[in-house]
Amino acid sequence: MTHRQRRNLIDFVMRWVLRLAIGSAAATLLLIVGVITWRGLPGLSWEMISQPPAGSFYLGGGGGVLNAILGSLALATGATLLAALIAVPVVLYLHGYAGRSRLANGLRLALDVMWGIPSIVYGAFGFSLMLLVGLRASLLAGIVTVAFVALPILARTFDEVLMLAPKELREATLALGTTRLEMLGILLRQTLPGLLTAVLLAFGRAIGDGAAPMFTAGYTDRLPQGLTEPVATLPLSIFFQLSAPYQSVQTRAYASAVILTAIILVISVMAQFTSRKLGRHIIR
Amino acid sequence: MIQHHSLATRNLNVWYGRTQALREITVDLPANQITAIIGPSGCGKSTFLKSLNRLLELNAGVRVDGEVLLDGRNIYAPGVDVTTVRGRVGMLAQKPFPLPLSIYENVAYGMKIHGVRHSQIDGHVERALNAVGLWGEVATRLKAPATSLSGGQQQRLCLARAIAVEPEILLCDESTASLDPISAQGIESLLLALRGRYTLVIVTHNIAQARRLADYVMFMWLGELVEHGPAAEFFDNPRESLTQEYLARRIG
Repeated sequence: MTHRQRRNLIDFVMRWVLRLAIGSAAATLLLIVGVITWRGLPGLSWEMISQPPAGSFYLGGGGGVLNAILGSLALATGATLLAALIAVPVVLYLHGYAGRSRLANGLRLALDVMWGIPSIVYGAFGFSLMLLVGLRASLLAGIVTVAFVALPILARTFDEVLMLAPKELREATLALGTTRLEMLGILLRQTLPGLLTAVLLAFGRAIGDGAAPMFTAGYTDRLPQGLTEPVATLPLSIFFQLSAPYQSVQTRAYASAVILTAIILVISVMAQFTSRKLGRHIIR
Repeated sequence: MIQHHSLATRNLNVWYGRTQALREITVDLPANQITAIIGPSGCGKSTFLKSLNRLLELNAGVRVDGEVLLDGRNIYAPGVDVTTVRGRVGMLAQKPFPLPLSIYENVAYGMKIHGVRHSQIDGHVERALNAVGLWGEVATRLKAPATSLSGGQQQRLCLARAIAVEPEILLCDESTASLDPISAQGIESLLLALRGRYTLVIVTHNIAQARRLADYVMFMWLGELVEHGPAAEFFDNPRESLTQEYLARRIG
């Protein structure tokens, strides 16, 4: 075999290795969606998404998971907004004023550690925080706790997006005589689609998290009543239904999983669409 | 002759960490003329240029010592407002780099931040785009993204953006290097047209370009200013042997 033939052979083999990896990744997603759809489809009904559970819901009675759908949406939206409210200024400060200082690198390390902490730990932390301030399990306590889970994801993703923004853009902007803050405004215009991705990732984690809200948001069969009342969440709802010893309730657990997946899918597609609009002026 | 504004450096030294990039640069840049800075890569041309609008500060670990005098005042003195300095000393970068905004907003942005009245901005935008010969090409699509323009058009847009702020001095860092020959020629003739109204300082690798444009030339070598003087004198009778060898392309 000549040298050239060998290189071509390696190229050929590696191409198929890479394709295999892509295939497995795609297959995993399809398999997950396929299995939950297959098992959950019989349980899907208008009643499931339009009504809260009736009294005997977990024993196979009527009703649906509207309590958990609304609860999850409220919790995840609140937590993501709260996380963004803190993360965006933090990251903008890092990029506008702190540069690659010790403070910046220390903060990045701290956020990475926060990212790795399991959400059950946040749940326990949120629970003790609640006791400290005399708050009971409620939407508000859940939002605050889940915001801790979402914060590092949002902050570090946005941070990485800003790091990818071309250095020349900062120079070009500052050379016009802008203040640092005005420069950050331009940088934000450039990175809006990336920020949206960061928010979406955080939202996905927030809405899918079961452990943190378990201690802090509580659970209820009622629809969300307000910030100081407990709320149901889809992951917990799925957990309770799956734990029921009845086949029909377990089927509805899968149906609830389909609903949760569909919510994430719809939001992702919407984000893609908005991202394209926001990215109209981006410099590549 | 009364000069409206003056730009000079006195014993300017710049370090990147422990590496010294500029050594004792003392020079008076002639007002309303084109000064070309030539020299091999890494000789400190860009560093010198960026020291003139304090853009150097963006690099971590930079230390500046000595003075850059704008109308006799050191721009590195404490209490000097850097945004005002950069408003007076504009810059055109090597690669065209529009802001992530529309064509119109690219030109209007600088004026807005410098407090030009809203009612006047439309007129100024048109004037600036006209000055760079872009108005006819973009008048009907001012709202389009700046990135929809070609490279040469983008560089002219960047020039319009810079002069819309009405600086007194314009720094150009190899501003034609990334353009095709026709676009490069377009920028060159624009720079010649701006001469007389602005003090232009251009960095160039291209000796022929320096000959075409410059009234005054600075030749730098390893962070030092080897020779500087009026262009005719500099090119016809270089005093230093280093300059002679560089111009004859025997070194660098």
